[in-house]
Amino acid sequence: MHTLRLLSAFFKVNVQMALAYRADTVVNILLNLMWLGWELLSLNIIFNNTETLGGWGIGELIALLGVFRLVNTMMIALIWPNTEKFNASIRDGSMDYTILQPVNSMFLVTFSRITVWRIWDLVLAVVLMVVGINMSGDSITALQILTFILLATTGTLVIYSLWIVLIAMTFWFTKFDNNVTILQALLDAGRYPATVYPVWLRVIVTFIIPIAVATTIPLQALRGDLTLASTLLFASIGFISFGIASQIWKAGLKRYSGASS
Amino acid sequence: MLLIIKRLWQVNWAEQWQYRANLLMYLLYWLVSPIIYLAVWTSIANVKGDVNGFTANDFTTYYMVLLIADQFTSNIVIHTFGYKIQDGSLSGELIRPIHPLLTNGLVNNIAFKALTIMGLLPIWIILFFLYKPDFSGISWTGIALAIPAMILAFFTGYLLSAAITSLAFWTTRVYSIHEFYFALILLFSGQFVPLTLMPQIVQDIAQYLPFQLLIYYPVQLILGKLSSAQIVQGYVMSFIWLGIAWLFFTWVWRNGVKRYSAVGA
Repeated sequence: MHTLRLLSAFFKVNVQMALAYRADTVVNILLNLMWLGWELLSLNIIFNNTETLGGWGIGELIALLGVFRLVNTMMIALIWPNTEKFNASIRDGSMDYTILQPVNSMFLVTFSRITVWRIWDLVLAVVLMVVGINMSGDSITALQILTFILLATTGTLVIYSLWIVLIAMTFWFTKFDNNVTILQALLDAGRYPATVYPVWLRVIVTFIIPIAVATTIPLQALRGDLTLASTLLFASIGFISFGIASQIWKAGLKRYSGASS
Repeated sequence: MLLIIKRLWQVNWAEQWQYRANLLMYLLYWLVSPIIYLAVWTSIANVKGDVNGFTANDFTTYYMVLLIADQFTSNIVIHTFGYKIQDGSLSGELIRPIHPLLTNGLVNNIAFKALTIMGLLPIWIILFFLYKPDFSGISWTGIALAIPAMILAFFTGYLLSAAITSLAFWTTRVYSIHEFYFALILLFSGQFVPLTLMPQIVQDIAQYLPFQLLIYYPVQLILGKLSSAQIVQGYVMSFIWLGIAWLFFTWVWRNGVKRYSAVGA
């Protein structure tokens, strides 16, 4: 309850900050639509030349684009702004004030900045998923939708945990301030089903920087391609990685010694 | 002048070397898209035999050469210069008797390129052994013809980006404008896919724009896919666009500097 109240407070503050830059918001939404146009055009070019890509049709790729945009929104609306604030707070020592507050520091560091206007991107993502699934003509059971939601959530949790680990590294290496660039770099691999990639790239995007766990795999669950065993495996990976990440965060926090004092 | 450039080179080389970790991250970031496109198109070509005449090997060689050509012709001036106009740190450079963008900025970009190409080389060799492309179609004439074309394209691209960056004298939304410009490059340069696979209307427009000179034209030159008439036409376009880019840049710069208000000074 306490956490939810804090979240809504963060949200209000961020809405106020966004309202100060209304024209920027309009420009950003236009640019966002431009990229959506490009993404759909590039899918159109691909499917002018083939009927399937890695066994998936155009409808399924549009749905995948929706899932990808969910992760991408988390990256832009949450990960980037909070990381920038966090990196600055390590450099100038204002991290002191964060730790002093009687709230879980990991929660504070990862949720205090939200790029509010990006919320509309989530709506767009859901629209893409619904349209894509309709186009693909697959018949979907309620159970498949539930596993999809479960795996999309745990997949997001995996990315969130990886982010925590990456920024926690800053406690050890102060100059490590391009900590999330590697995440951003490989994110684009989530636009296409991991099944089209050569083995080495598939290994990277599934196990090392697990973008595919949050994009390809939930969609495979939606299509009914996953066995019960692998569904449980991927779901538990989400919770395990979150557990590991919080431990690394705690260990890193112990090394923090303040920069100003 | 030579001595000035030598000194600028030393300073900028040292500066870029200082940021080598950032540079490596940038390189990684920049590498991912071509590798993904390569994977997507070779997987389609492998299933169908060929895509509009392009075999899997054609795609592999296209993107492998693209990695090099793009690295030669692209620039990062928006990132290294845009903020200087916005936060006022340009003042110090303006009082020097040399042009900030045509000397210091240019040398800085070239130092950056030299380092990224050094970083790209081992990665490129690894990719070469992973994909084993068949480069038998490449001739030394093609490479020899492509080098001046890439140098021309680099300067054209640099001047265009420098002009867009200089729009920061008027607007704080210069990064949004740059994002739009970047989308134009993606659409018209052949970065996503060889231009002949794009919709006909995109191809028709692309021939008149400078963006294909950055990627598609030099790549096709190296791969030896162009007729002599197309080669000549490409060179003519290169010189025309270099001239246009020069006029555009000098005009924007001259008017922009007058508006410069040295924030924070």
